[in-house]
Amino acid sequence: MHSVKAIFKKQMKDTLKNMGVLIQFIIYPLVAFAMTVLMDTAAIPYEVLAVMPNMVNVMAAVFAGMALVSSAAAIIAEDKEKKSLRFLVMANVKPPAYLLGVGGTVFFVSIFTSVAFSFISGFGGVDFWIFLASMMSGVTASILLGATIGLLTKNQQSATAIAMPIAMVLGFGPMMAGFNDTIARVLHITYTQQLNVVSDYLTIGGVGAPLWHSFAIMWANVVVFGIVFVIVYAKKGMK
Amino acid sequence: MISVSMKNISKSFGGNKVLKDVTFETHDGEIFGMLGPSGSGKTTIINILTKQLTADSGQCHVAVGSHEIGLMLEDDGLFSRLSCLDNLIVFEDIYKIQRKQTLEVLERVGLTDAKNTAVNQLSKGMRQRLVLARAVLHKPKVLFLDEPTSALDPMTARGIHKLIRDLRNGGSTIFLTTHNMEEATHLCDRVVMLHKGKIIEQGTPQDICHRYNATKNVLDLEYVFVQLTGGGLECTA
Repeated sequence: MHSVKAIFKKQMKDTLKNMGVLIQFIIYPLVAFAMTVLMDTAAIPYEVLAVMPNMVNVMAAVFAGMALVSSAAAIIAEDKEKKSLRFLVMANVKPPAYLLGVGGTVFFVSIFTSVAFSFISGFGGVDFWIFLASMMSGVTASILLGATIGLLTKNQQSATAIAMPIAMVLGFGPMMAGFNDTIARVLHITYTQQLNVVSDYLTIGGVGAPLWHSFAIMWANVVVFGIVFVIVYAKKGMK
Repeated sequence: MISVSMKNISKSFGGNKVLKDVTFETHDGEIFGMLGPSGSGKTTIINILTKQLTADSGQCHVAVGSHEIGLMLEDDGLFSRLSCLDNLIVFEDIYKIQRKQTLEVLERVGLTDAKNTAVNQLSKGMRQRLVLARAVLHKPKVLFLDEPTSALDPMTARGIHKLIRDLRNGGSTIFLTTHNMEEATHLCDRVVMLHKGKIIEQGTPQDICHRYNATKNVLDLEYVFVQLTGGGLECTA
């Protein structure tokens, strides 16, 4: 347990000094806030406004799907590339402890970003907790996916090359789904689409499929990514 | 007591045989040098001894557990955005040691003034000293040093030699690789000469030199420089 704590502490310090990663936790809620403040809804025709996706909810899904997959992958790949991980393992840090420490940091910092999104959306009371639970489900899925990519790649460059296309589909998918029913049907099984569904449900006020349905899909994603992660880890380890 | 030993170790990468029947042993509290040119197999030996590689055949043994081993490799593995102190705190937490001990180690390597400096702001010599500090932080019984002074200026190298001798005097066994013959002559209690993966000679530097009638008086500008400057470890962040 003390190894997990040591890695968590190290990763927190490193994340706060790593602008490339830190900015990803800040920029999405900032953009969402700017859109909320700057968008003149009165100037948008009603028929456009009626079909337009809620931009705050979209940005929350983009954050969960895009920023976290690439961040988790980049952190692990960097430690591998710079051989820091080798020294940690030689110091008897078990790979699961390392992954828990890094994943725990990403999860912890994501709580603040998720709370920021919640405030921008104006979710209060039970809605706040439902939104936070859905975000943290998405964050968990993204961390597992990003960690798997980090395990598979040798350096940050190749991690980014693999993570970006996947992250873009997951992140921007819900936005495209807002304009296209076919895409919405295809992306129905992804956690970011369901995250968007939950946010829209809370924003509009209980319209659409029941919430448990979305949570079930998100946790199915978590289980699938968890299984993939375990298989990749068993085959590749932390080499 | 034997602290590190290898018996008939061979290792190939693809068709390239990098170690051929390597056999040696080191004793407690000595500085043991693995001497040879680049590509002779020195780093492969360290990697096998520290279980980062497995040998194709033969046996190797390190008398202490992994938590009693210190390691300094060619890749420093430092967390470049963190400060010197924060880099050591990671391992302080892992080994559960006191902050006082960490600060003492930083002082011994001459990095107290630079403790809050980010690693990516350090010179090559300071980075080497920090890596050495990390390697000795938990007072290891066996210390593996892979080319500890390569690419360092003579003054910094001399400071690191002093630290290595201090560690030996404190009871640690030092296993170091170097391609610097002069360093091995002055620093090591015993050396093994490695050439193309094969041991070609071993013994104390004095014995080996006498055996081959290779003793000579040399002009030593470095000695003069040390006499003129005092020769301590200087910290320039």
